[in-house]
Amino acid sequence: MSVIELDDVVKRYESGAQTVTALKGVDFHADRGEMVTIIGPSGSGKSTMLNMIGLLDTPTEGTVHLDGRNVTGFTEDELTEERRTTLGFVFQDFHLLPMLSAVENVELPSVWDTSVDRRDRAIDLLKRVGLGDRLDHTPDELSGGQQQRVAIARSLINGPDILLMDEPTGNLDQDTGRTILEEVTRLKEEENIAVVAVTHDEQMLDYTDRTVRIVDGVIQS
Amino acid sequence: MSVADALWRFPSAMMAWRNLGRNRMRTALAALGIVIGVVAISSLGMAGVALQQQATSNLGSLTNQVSVSAGQDSDYDGVTEDQVEEIRSIITDAEVIPQKSNSTTVSSRGQEAYVSVTGVTNAAALYDVTSGEAPERLQTGALISNSTARELGLELGDPVEYDGQLYRITGLIDSGSGFGPGGGRGELVIPISGLADQEHYDSVTIIAADGDAATEISETLDEHFNTDGRDEEEILRVSSYASAQENINSFLNTLQLALLGIGGISLVVASVAILNVMLMSTVERRGEIGVLRAVGIRRGEVLRMILTEATFLGTLGGLVGAGCSLVVGAVMFQLVVGDPTGVLQWASARYLLYGFAFAVFASVLSGIYPAWKAANDSPVEALRG
Repeated sequence: MSVIELDDVVKRYESGAQTVTALKGVDFHADRGEMVTIIGPSGSGKSTMLNMIGLLDTPTEGTVHLDGRNVTGFTEDELTEERRTTLGFVFQDFHLLPMLSAVENVELPSVWDTSVDRRDRAIDLLKRVGLGDRLDHTPDELSGGQQQRVAIARSLINGPDILLMDEPTGNLDQDTGRTILEEVTRLKEEENIAVVAVTHDEQMLDYTDRTVRIVDGVIQS
Repeated sequence: MSVADALWRFPSAMMAWRNLGRNRMRTALAALGIVIGVVAISSLGMAGVALQQQATSNLGSLTNQVSVSAGQDSDYDGVTEDQVEEIRSIITDAEVIPQKSNSTTVSSRGQEAYVSVTGVTNAAALYDVTSGEAPERLQTGALISNSTARELGLELGDPVEYDGQLYRITGLIDSGSGFGPGGGRGELVIPISGLADQEHYDSVTIIAADGDAATEISETLDEHFNTDGRDEEEILRVSSYASAQENINSFLNTLQLALLGIGGISLVVASVAILNVMLMSTVERRGEIGVLRAVGIRRGEVLRMILTEATFLGTLGGLVGAGCSLVVGAVMFQLVVGDPTGVLQWASARYLLYGFAFAVFASVLSGIYPAWKAANDSPVEALRG
């Protein structure tokens, strides 16, 4: 069973007097242990699609299933809960909080859950991405590649089913991007999670299991 | 690290604290606004208290006194012996002290001083001596004010002359403090027999237990001797300083409210500054807050985090402000009352608490809108920056 599924999703925006249709009936699914890459020209609707998969935005028409459950009509608070427990996010600009150390950044998504013993898991995750000796460094003391690894560790803190990556190698040089993608591939297998990435980066296709091309809000393949 | 670990158990507090630390200058300036507001409220409030205490201490023991003299409709130029007896029969629970007064020039060793002369029997009830003694039955001796004694080079035991009669000085009294009878000018107190050529008493002082009793006595006497209404008649003029103090107190209360109002305005200005700072910093951190929301931080948690920031600003500013106000208050009490520790009494110290509480309250209030706005921003929009 697919861990995430979009069925005939339409997304329309009101932009001034105009109505822009960003997604025109999109079907999509991703399974555990699979890395799916979404590619397409800018303005094609791939970011909108990632927002739908990431439960950051709700479709105008169509349904979204998460782990077999229909989450289409969920309230903002319910969606927040799903994002916290089921999803992990990695962004192009890393988006680490500058005033927190590496280990604190990793803990961040679970920090308001007092029940979880998150410190040990955060340290363990940072060791697994090769930053065991950088635990107390703040983001400005880390290189871009190191920051993105902290972000990957952060996305895994709550044990998600799906890892969403928005141009994860966009701000990294080719070699660093490659090591990050190797890291993600390894973690995908270790944790048995689905990875959905949006990218322009050609080298990413070397690591992907399946590629989805979107043009003008319509899936091409 | 251990402090940070402990703080991590209160994530809102931890995040708020770290966020404030990111732009120390801005935090300090926002807190400074609050500091000024608190100092304004607290020190103006305490100024009111200091003035009130000073006024009370100047009136001093006079507040429990009632003073009686001849009214405008009296047939006599003073209070008669019969009237004194009548007062004594009505007022049984207070000391009734009739006095005669005059003024004269006292000379000694070639120096002259113009003094008011008071003839009284129970000098002890009316005067506090700084040295020597004031007898309950003044029959031969005299009291003289300190300043006059100094001017004329007189000491205890020296004689002074009034109306051809010599009196030996038995006590020195404080001069010129307060605005009671004879205040300002030097004073000579002699036995009532020394003014025997004046038939009537110029005034009668009644000393009650306290200000309330004095007010009651003055009302009783006024009712007994005088009539109100169309044919209003004032046989005896009855006045008590208790009502004077009430007037002063009510004036000072009004003044204090006005001062607090001015202080309050500065705190309102400060909270607008906090509103601005919080709004700016949440707008700047929009993307960051979007990330928090994306990774599953609840709206309520974002709200709490930003409200905590505002609360910290208010608490920080409030504490520093209260500290500064304490110093300002101590200086003020030193200047007005002459005792800097007066600031620690609850009557004035409570304004520190009020100022602090108002600061925290105003800051939280200013934090509500930015916090609400940040928490309810759509994550997609926020991530776009």
